[in-house]
Amino acid sequence: MFVMIENLKYQYNKSTKAIIQNFSLKIKKGEIISILGESGSGKSTILRLLAGLETPNSGSISINDNVIVNHHHFLPPEKREVGIVFQDYALFPHMTVERNIKYGLRKMSRIQKQQRLDEMLQLVRLEDYKNRYPYELSGGQQQRVALARALAPAPSLLLFDEPFSNLDAHLQIKIRNELREILKHTNTTSIFVTHDQTDAVALADRIILLENGSIGNELKPSELASTNYMLQYRTGLRI
Amino acid sequence: MRLIQQVKQQINIWAILSSMFILVILLPAMLVGKHFFAKPNENWLHIKEYLLLDILSNTLVLMAMTGILTTAIGVSLAWLITVYQFPLRNFFKWALILPLAIPPFIGAYTYHGILNYTGVIQSTLRNQFDVQVEQKYFDIMNIGGAIFIFTIFLYPYMYVITKSFLENQSSSIIENARILGGNSIEIFFRIILPISRAAIIGGVSIIALEVINDYGVVKYFGIQTFITAIFQTWAGMSDLDSAFKLAGTLMVVVILLLLFEKFARGRKRYSYSTSKIRPIIPKKLTKSKAMLASGYCAVIFCLAFLIPFAQLFLWMVMTYDKIVTVEFFGLIKNSFFVAAISAVIIVIVGVIIANYTRIYQGIYAKVISKVTVIGYSIPGAVIAISVLSIFVALDNYLLSVFNYFQMDPLIIFRTSIIMLITAYVIRFLTVGYNSIESGFEKIGNSFTEASKTLGVSTIGTFFKVDVPMVKGAIFGGFILVFIDILKELPLTMLLQPFNFFTLATRAFRYANDEMVSEAASASLIIIFISGICIYFFHKISEKGSEK
Repeated sequence: MFVMIENLKYQYNKSTKAIIQNFSLKIKKGEIISILGESGSGKSTILRLLAGLETPNSGSISINDNVIVNHHHFLPPEKREVGIVFQDYALFPHMTVERNIKYGLRKMSRIQKQQRLDEMLQLVRLEDYKNRYPYELSGGQQQRVALARALAPAPSLLLFDEPFSNLDAHLQIKIRNELREILKHTNTTSIFVTHDQTDAVALADRIILLENGSIGNELKPSELASTNYMLQYRTGLRI
Repeated sequence: MRLIQQVKQQINIWAILSSMFILVILLPAMLVGKHFFAKPNENWLHIKEYLLLDILSNTLVLMAMTGILTTAIGVSLAWLITVYQFPLRNFFKWALILPLAIPPFIGAYTYHGILNYTGVIQSTLRNQFDVQVEQKYFDIMNIGGAIFIFTIFLYPYMYVITKSFLENQSSSIIENARILGGNSIEIFFRIILPISRAAIIGGVSIIALEVINDYGVVKYFGIQTFITAIFQTWAGMSDLDSAFKLAGTLMVVVILLLLFEKFARGRKRYSYSTSKIRPIIPKKLTKSKAMLASGYCAVIFCLAFLIPFAQLFLWMVMTYDKIVTVEFFGLIKNSFFVAAISAVIIVIVGVIIANYTRIYQGIYAKVISKVTVIGYSIPGAVIAISVLSIFVALDNYLLSVFNYFQMDPLIIFRTSIIMLITAYVIRFLTVGYNSIESGFEKIGNSFTEASKTLGVSTIGTFFKVDVPMVKGAIFGGFILVFIDILKELPLTMLLQPFNFFTLATRAFRYANDEMVSEAASASLIIIFISGICIYFFHKISEKGSEK
């Protein structure tokens, strides 16, 4: 398996209860996973643990047979090769689109950087916007720049934290379809967290339902779409 | 596992540097604590028996009365400017902050110069109208006069804090009160004062700390306070031990004041508004009320800025050919040099600590953050005696080392400017740090996290992302510190190297030698530079809050 998460546990310092516990997941190379759950269910915490922005209490994570965290070992975020697209995109406001995308390409030569920039701009169809600043772009364009920036260093794993929550409904559908195409085209292993089941259905190869900090159920998108699982899930019914 | 990992992550260059800086900040407090409990000498017993009560009561009266009066003036002005529309409101909005540019000691000698027997008022009455006045009505060289001076030159702290609090309140609070039948005065006392409690207490505590720290006003007016007593016991009697005991007692007063602030403020913060507030739209006053409001603002502005400024300007015109010499430009150079160097060091230290406490959250980072802001509570004179004794000890140690190697000492710290700059850094770090910390708070952590997940180290992220994004706050912090140092008196008086004077210390020396008109040129430069900085700072923060 490309990504292996085993028995992950995380508890906030001031909390008496673990927000994530016994969380285990295996992901194949190029697979797109959606983690679906309500607000406060710990979805974003899982992404932060994978990215190295939080340290788990116990458990292990390995990517492509490299252990990034376990009992003895903790690889800091800058060494993990895990990309993340934040809910608010976190585009650096003092940098142009070009500089934002090139930001993570430190190890490349100048020519390689330029080539990668052109590829990314073409991929997200923003060739004419490279000299603009983030505040000069629409919400959808910002989202695409954030994706290009995260994809540019070719991360082993790409994480998305509620990536469509700041977009209007029309744009959401358009970008969702584009995003799946791009991820499949680049064979990027990805995890989305969302509370919106239509996002999960449209994007994912596999959907994980998060319940009390651990995996409640695993579904295919077609199963979720046909049974309106979330409605039953919230009213206490099980499939 | 997490504990070990967290400890590992905590040990880094940011933590080490921050800890070193904090140690330097804590040194004066530790030194005062050590000496405070040491065996007292004869001087101290004398001070305790005959002087301490007067010193304490003078300090408390000055603090309490200034607190009450600045609250009355500052809050009423903030209320008028925020809630009502009247002629010249937009001008007064920022003009009422300008008195902050005048250090109280300059205000003190200016008002004394205006009101004394040879001053403009009495001479005009005598020469033009043949009126002789009773001197006691024009004598401000007493505790009442000091309270007047502190009030008119320190009220802007209260005005600025309360105004920014009220501006962030939703107009629905006042509209609801109006619908429920309250008139303006009722709304002020029943709604505005209670909701502004935390802001008012914050303002009072800043003003009280300024009063405690003052040397220039009380020395000029001949009022015995802790600071003047520390100066006398140390500089006059060369009794460092008793000076430390006075400093320790003063620190007890400061700690009680800070505890009072914490207790009185309770769990309320300056502002608990959300982003959904509907800002207060100023209500137009009727003609007579509008005139009253404009008149009130005009009286305060004239007393606190226009009159002293005009008097200083006249004195400068009378004396500038005698004063503005090559030596005078040396004073300007000295003042700018120490203020700029110290402000640069302070913002560098401030950025390092603020970045550490932001990224590495935990108990230790919290402690570092709290300790960083205590420097401003320690009066300048207390910092001065501590820093001096540390550098004297360091000099003695170095001297013994050089003697051992039969060499001449390369540097003597106690006569160098390093000592003064160190003391400035300890005293004013809070000012720079607070500005930078609030800049970091505004941008949050997501940009830093985004940078790290793109493979850039913490240090790389710091230079490429963090610093460029908070550069406005860094610049703001630099300006605030620069102004404070330009105006600073007690610390500079005690620690300035031989033959090294700043604009502030030279102005004070002239005034103290009864050459008040000669003090005007140096004072006006301080006021002019501070005024420009305050104006731009106000405009920038207003722009920021409009966004």
